[in-house]
Amino acid sequence: MTTTAVNSSNRFDTSTTQIGISAVVLAVCLFVLFFVISTSMIQEMFGFARQIEARVPTFFARMIFFVAALAAAFFLITGTSYYKRNKVAMAPWLFLALGLGFFLLYVIVPIFQSISYSFTRWDGLYDINGVWTGEWVGLHNYKVLLDDPNFYTSLKNNLLWLILFMLAVPIGLFLALFLNQTVTGIRVYKSLFFFPFVISQVVVGLIFTWAYNPEFGLLSEVWSWFFCEMKENIVGNMTRVCSVDPPSILGDENMATYGIIAAGLWPQIAYCMILYLTGLNNVSSDQIEAGQLDGAKGWKMLWHVVLPQLKPATFIAVVVTVIGALRSFDMIATMTQGGPFGSTNVLAYYMYDQAVGEGVGRYGYGSAIATVLFLIMLVYISYFLWRMYMDEKEAR
Amino acid sequence: MFPKPIANYSGGRQFAYKLAVPLVLFLWLLPLLAIFMTSIRPASDIAIGNVFGIPSSFQLLQNYGEVFAKTDALRYLLNTLLIALPTMLISVALACLTGYALAIYKFKWALPLFFLFVAGNFVPFQILMLPVVDISVRMEIINTVPGLVMFHAAFQTGFCTLFMRNFIKALPFELIESARLEGVGEFRIFWHLVLPLVKPAIAALCVLIFTFIWNDFFWATVLIQEDSSLPITVGVRTLNGEFVQQWHLVSAASLLAAVPPVLMFFIMQKHFIAGLTLGATKG
Repeated sequence: MTTTAVNSSNRFDTSTTQIGISAVVLAVCLFVLFFVISTSMIQEMFGFARQIEARVPTFFARMIFFVAALAAAFFLITGTSYYKRNKVAMAPWLFLALGLGFFLLYVIVPIFQSISYSFTRWDGLYDINGVWTGEWVGLHNYKVLLDDPNFYTSLKNNLLWLILFMLAVPIGLFLALFLNQTVTGIRVYKSLFFFPFVISQVVVGLIFTWAYNPEFGLLSEVWSWFFCEMKENIVGNMTRVCSVDPPSILGDENMATYGIIAAGLWPQIAYCMILYLTGLNNVSSDQIEAGQLDGAKGWKMLWHVVLPQLKPATFIAVVVTVIGALRSFDMIATMTQGGPFGSTNVLAYYMYDQAVGEGVGRYGYGSAIATVLFLIMLVYISYFLWRMYMDEKEAR
Repeated sequence: MFPKPIANYSGGRQFAYKLAVPLVLFLWLLPLLAIFMTSIRPASDIAIGNVFGIPSSFQLLQNYGEVFAKTDALRYLLNTLLIALPTMLISVALACLTGYALAIYKFKWALPLFFLFVAGNFVPFQILMLPVVDISVRMEIINTVPGLVMFHAAFQTGFCTLFMRNFIKALPFELIESARLEGVGEFRIFWHLVLPLVKPAIAALCVLIFTFIWNDFFWATVLIQEDSSLPITVGVRTLNGEFVQQWHLVSAASLLAAVPPVLMFFIMQKHFIAGLTLGATKG
């Protein structure tokens, strides 16, 4: 009886040596991190010609001491009797600390920083003493935004993206229905259909830029089957003569955005298809048979029996398609850079263009655009979180 | 199974289906095939308008060799690898920890924090752009590969946490409870009991994150201007400007950038799809 009491009190005692050593290590690491390491110090130590070359080694040196400090802090905390007595309550915070801190630093805090930038006029620079050079202008940026025709073009294009991108969901569904068979080699076919999604959007953009090229692209070739013929010109060379010239899709203000969206649909359809193929795998055959007994066939079966069971897949497909539509940047940057005459701008690209493109450097204005885009996205994020919350409540 | 298995239909319809699938596939991948054909033909073919016919000579090795010889493609590829691999390791490792904490411990912050990770994962990049540039400048890692890795790793931790937490939540909780009753420490439970069980999730996440980061373009353009640190996606875009009208080289370079993720997908297909379709079947 007494021995167990002694043992258990020992188990919860503060381990003095552990805490002592970790505290010393922690202090040393923090001191080195904040007062010793600098690019100029590393530059001198390793003899780099320019300070810029010392940046990466400096970063690694800092990381070593940072990780050491973390380890010391960990042992410091786990050595205290408070931790030992409240293990189950404290442990999750230790597991979370690193990932959460990292995520807060790079993702959560910047959201609020961006929103605060949007009330300022700033070109992204600090003066020699490291003092911020911007000025507070209140709602000025938002007022300018309301009079900016480019902003409305971007907003309109964002809407177009959102609406037309949704086509990826039904087309993906039909492609999945088409491929949901068990013939030889179907697995290989399925993965080949999925191909476009794996490729970088930059590459997809380049492929379609080339396909749309009115002189020697894929589209002009198809066009020439209908409208063109090869004729011998005066010099004796064969040239192509067309009754109607092939359209320059990316060079035309009215068509360019549609051209880019069509290119963007290619990988997105593949993504939706794979979501539905997985969903179809899990459709219960009992219900299909029950449906058959009730005389449901084809469309009716699809609509009343299969689609309700595909609801989770549809939900994910819609979510990723909305996010994809609002994030469209890579394609526009590779295919048109917002042109011709700003007609293919979307908020994402316009923001980039205003803030860092072509030396404009309007950080405040760019942040205002980003904030608008964020608010649009927030509608969907809230809906998504609400759905997840409902699922969680159900699961309990 | 829906639609009705094709085997139940007449021979004629089965034959038609077996013919239709490769045909649709051909049309679906036509842009890719066409650009591949362009990448192996000589420049003179394109000049005289022979873009889709049989190439006058096959220059697979010459064209791809020229891309490596004339440009920094090799360094761009190496940079991408140096960005993608550490990002993958850091974010998946961190997510194992955070996902475990959020799935196993029943404290009142578990759900709000989980939602914080999920929400952060979906925000538009542009709202993060300027502050992230600012942080990178202050940490003196802008324009460097580690600078890009730091951001990617932090951002991808959000997605990985979403994935890991749901995966661990689906494990039988009794296992952990009985280990606790036997007096096994919290970190030992994580290391010896849970980690071996989440190996499939780790594999799926690794493949996905590698592909996402390999294909990243936006953050590379924002955080890196120096040519020596550029990844392949930005490199290819730059080449597009340099090789004006040299479409055989542009297409070769583009396809080169696409090879590693495609290979990754084919080798790890099962994990890749399991990762992407997470949640598409539940309920």
